[in-house]
Amino acid sequence: MKKIVVDGLKYKYPLSEALALQDISFEIEEGEFIGIIGKNSVGKSTLCQALVGLVPHFYKGAYGGKVLVDGLEVRNHSIADISRKVGMVFQNPFTQVTGSKMTVYEEIAFGLENSGLPREEMRQRIDEVLRLMRIEHVKDHSPFDLSGGQMQRMAIASIMAMKPDILVLDEPTSQLDPAGSEEVFQAIQDFSQQGITVIMAEHKMEKIAQYCNRVLLLHEGRLVDFDTAEKIFSREDLKDYGVTAPVYTRVCRALGVKKQGCDGYPVTLEDAELALRRSFA
Amino acid sequence: MIKVSNLSFSYSPAGPSVLSDINLEFDRRTTAIIGQNGAGKSTFVKLLKGLLKTDQGEIFIGDYEVKMKTAAELARQIGLVFQNPDDQIFKRTVLDEAMFGLLNIKIGKSTAERLAVEALEMVGLEDKLAVNPHDLSLSEKKLLCIASVMAMDTDIVIFDEPTIGQDHAGMEIIRRIIQELKKKNKLVMTIIHDMDFVAENFDRTIVFNNGKVLLDGETREVFSQKEVLMEANVEPPGVTQLAERVGLKNTILTVEEFVQECGK
Amino acid sequence: MHNIDPISKLYYILFAIIIPIILPSFIVSVICVALSVLLLLAAKVIRKTLPVYSFVFLVLITVIVIQGLFRPGNETILFHLGPFAMHKEGLLFALTIVLRVTNIVSAFMLLVLTTKPSDLVESLVRRGMSPRIGYVIVSVFQIIPEMMSTMSTIMDAQRSRGMETEGKLLVRMKAFIPLLAPVVLGSLINTKERAMALEVRGFNSRNPKTYLNEEKTYSYSKWIQVAMLLVTIFAVAWRVFL
Repeated sequence: MKKIVVDGLKYKYPLSEALALQDISFEIEEGEFIGIIGKNSVGKSTLCQALVGLVPHFYKGAYGGKVLVDGLEVRNHSIADISRKVGMVFQNPFTQVTGSKMTVYEEIAFGLENSGLPREEMRQRIDEVLRLMRIEHVKDHSPFDLSGGQMQRMAIASIMAMKPDILVLDEPTSQLDPAGSEEVFQAIQDFSQQGITVIMAEHKMEKIAQYCNRVLLLHEGRLVDFDTAEKIFSREDLKDYGVTAPVYTRVCRALGVKKQGCDGYPVTLEDAELALRRSFA
Repeated sequence: MIKVSNLSFSYSPAGPSVLSDINLEFDRRTTAIIGQNGAGKSTFVKLLKGLLKTDQGEIFIGDYEVKMKTAAELARQIGLVFQNPDDQIFKRTVLDEAMFGLLNIKIGKSTAERLAVEALEMVGLEDKLAVNPHDLSLSEKKLLCIASVMAMDTDIVIFDEPTIGQDHAGMEIIRRIIQELKKKNKLVMTIIHDMDFVAENFDRTIVFNNGKVLLDGETREVFSQKEVLMEANVEPPGVTQLAERVGLKNTILTVEEFVQECGK
Repeated sequence: MHNIDPISKLYYILFAIIIPIILPSFIVSVICVALSVLLLLAAKVIRKTLPVYSFVFLVLITVIVIQGLFRPGNETILFHLGPFAMHKEGLLFALTIVLRVTNIVSAFMLLVLTTKPSDLVESLVRRGMSPRIGYVIVSVFQIIPEMMSTMSTIMDAQRSRGMETEGKLLVRMKAFIPLLAPVVLGSLINTKERAMALEVRGFNSRNPKTYLNEEKTYSYSKWIQVAMLLVTIFAVAWRVFL
């Protein structure tokens, strides 16, 4: 089933001359894990925000084309309505804390209170996401007393408690240390395995390669390519888009070792190991 | 250049110690400081820079004890580039921002301007002298902050997470700057989480864990000790892991080394 | 005191302000102040009031001195302060002001020190205050400490570039300017990001809002409010008929 359909999307921020997004079209199936890559300020964040309606509702600006999430046309619905289908997690864990709640437990309830959920169900859902995100032990702490990794997992928990079918993440681990990012990636993967559709903009190519079914390459507001990680990272012209392939791909490319049964180079540690062992043997 | 002996520190007298019994000497090798958040890396750097005062132990930079000087006085010897450029930038133009530190240490205006422009040339911002810094992109802002510290021509330059939020192009510029500084015989030190970048660019690596130095040595030697690194929750760089898995004997730090090793 | 509902405490502030206006006698004002202080004692928060009281009294002392010396209509000399004469009329007037201010400050502290801001705002939102205004009030309490820590990072960044922040007042004042722009800009950026994060959590939803915490039922609220109302009516009657 098509979960997201973007058709000829064009967008220009107010007070800006250039189009931030130019004629973007793609489709995403239910349950896919999609990575968005490209160099800085090519429209990755804008595209993420277009999927939850922050573009155009929050910024205004000139908008053309169509974005359908789960059958809902983003342009014609309020952010609050769309938030029930699509959740979004941002880069900075600090600015996602509402600042109006005293405990992690209450913080997660914020979105549920706004959507008018009965109390019993709220408690059930909060307990569930606390467990899934492995932050039960800090549920009575102040949201600001958490580590970066915990805080970001709380942000994801707050969104997932609202039970969206689609989760959009904009560089969710760029401000975390390696251990903190690993915690967050694990958590996202858990949701993905439960059938949630995940779209994630990210600079860490090794992680994109490890987790994503397909990768969307953006450049100067245009969609360059949308394909498997092996295909994208094996492109000869990747450098022109300011992207470096995962280190495993670079090693295999330099040695001319391709992944078995596919035309591209391996993109993960495991695949690279397999391919190299075979070629050494 | 820097000598640290028996250094311990805690934020409050009764509080837990953030650093305990650190003994280190720094020479002119490029040095990476790695370890988890909360391991004491930032505190250590702030002590070197005189932003915090030592409780126990001593830090000497050259012949001076750091404790005896204010952070502002130390600005001539040691430069620090902060993680978030928005915490630093406040002038109206790129040139003024780059000159701010120089004017603070009483460099004449014309000399300051010349030094600032030179530093901005190094980071590739020379054609944006009159631009308002807030109109720059995030990675350009970061480069501006680096230039404004480099302009002061200190013997020691410390970076705090220079690669965060940088794309490929930004990383390349930072890589080049570190090499340039090294050529000029400066001590470059950086707090960093990106292990691949450490492997490719730093001669020496120090691993902090729970306020102590867990490992210290040549980068290659440090990354060969996988088990000890695990203790500090640090994974060796991807290419090092791959080399180990496919059974290459030496510890590999870069793609080029990997390819060479296979060619043997 | 911590278990009395915030709304009753709000009424109490109103009550403590109105009563001395209806019955402007010393005795009534003293009783009101004494009542608030007793309640503060009962709530075991009197220690926290001391800094506030000291500050208020510092201001009030200047009021007493100025009124005692210079109030128009000063006739009766009570005593001399060096070459200056203190007058009875001015001092009496100053005393009313002192009582009024102390009274209001005490009543406010009773609310502030015994109520979590989030509880107060939640009570008000339940009674129809806009959730947006409620949010702004509560978040200020939490976001200020966050801003303070950004401020110290910014200070460190400027000291690192040789800006002197230690020493004379003038040096400190000059050091303050480079802090302002980054702090203001930083909070603007944060505000934009936070606003987006709130939006995607349905902050502007048109659905009727629900609450995680059950509204606490406060058994005595009704009685307390009724009692205050009765006293007020009684006070008005007293004023009108006697």
